[in-house]
Amino acid sequence: MDLLAVLQSKPVLIGLHLGFAIVGIDAFLWLLGQLKDDGGSRKGRIVTAAVGVIAFAASWLAGGYYYVVYYGALVKPIIKSGAAPWVHNIVMETKEHIFLFVVPLAMTTLFITLLKKEDMERLGLRRLACCFAGVVAALGLLIGAMGFVISAAARWG
Amino acid sequence: MNTPRLIFASALAAIATIVFVVVITIWAELSVPLKDWLKNFSGHHWTSKSIFSALLYAGATVIVYGLFHNPGDVRLRRTLVFLLASTALGSIILTAFYTGHHFRLF
Repeated sequence: MDLLAVLQSKPVLIGLHLGFAIVGIDAFLWLLGQLKDDGGSRKGRIVTAAVGVIAFAASWLAGGYYYVVYYGALVKPIIKSGAAPWVHNIVMETKEHIFLFVVPLAMTTLFITLLKKEDMERLGLRRLACCFAGVVAALGLLIGAMGFVISAAARWG
Repeated sequence: MNTPRLIFASALAAIATIVFVVVITIWAELSVPLKDWLKNFSGHHWTSKSIFSALLYAGATVIVYGLFHNPGDVRLRRTLVFLLASTALGSIILTAFYTGHHFRLF
C-alpha cells in the first residue's frame, strides 16, 4: 500500500479531518486570548490566524474527500436505515453546508490581524476581532459536536 | 496593500458567500434539475457548492477591493457586524430548513 492509498483510507481521512479542525479551533481560541489580553506580537497573531485558516482549509479537503467518496455510499445508508435517520437529514445536511462559512470567516479574521495595534484601536475593531476569533472557534466546535452525533448514529444505529 | 480595504472586501465577499450557500442549498433541495446540474458539474452537489463558494469568495474579495477605495471606519465596523449576523442567520436558516424538510413541512 503506497502513501497515497494510506492517506485516502477512511480512518486516516477522518483523523485528518478531525485533527486539522482541532488545530483550527485551538488556533482561533489562542487568537481570542491574544486579542482579549492584548498579548503577543502582531506577527504572533498573524501566524496564529494563518495556522487556523490553513488547518480549516485542510480539514475541508480531507473531510470533503471522505464525504464525497465514502460517506454517501457507506455511512449514509446505515444512518438512514437506523433508529435516527434525522441525524443525516438534519445534522449532516446542516453540518456540510455550515462548514462552507468557516474559511471565509477565518480569512476575514486573518485580515483583521494584519492591522497594527494602533490601527485596530483607531478603527475600533479590537472587540469585533475578539468576536470573530470566538465565532470561528465556536462554529468549529459546533460542527465538531455535529460530527460526533453523526459518528454515534452510524456506530450505534 | 490597504488592510482596512482588504478587511471590508473580505467581509462583503464572506456575506455574499454565506447568502449564496444558503440560497443554492435550499433551492437545490426544492429543485431536482438544479441539484442534478450541481451533481453533473463536478460529480457531487456538495463539491460543486464548495468550488463555487470558494471562487465567489476569492473573486468578490478582489472585485470589492478594486471598487471601494475608502470604505470608512463606521462602514467597515457595520459590515463586520453584518457578517457576524449573517453567519448566525445563515446557520439558523439552514438548520430550520433541514428540520422542516425532514418533517415534511415543505
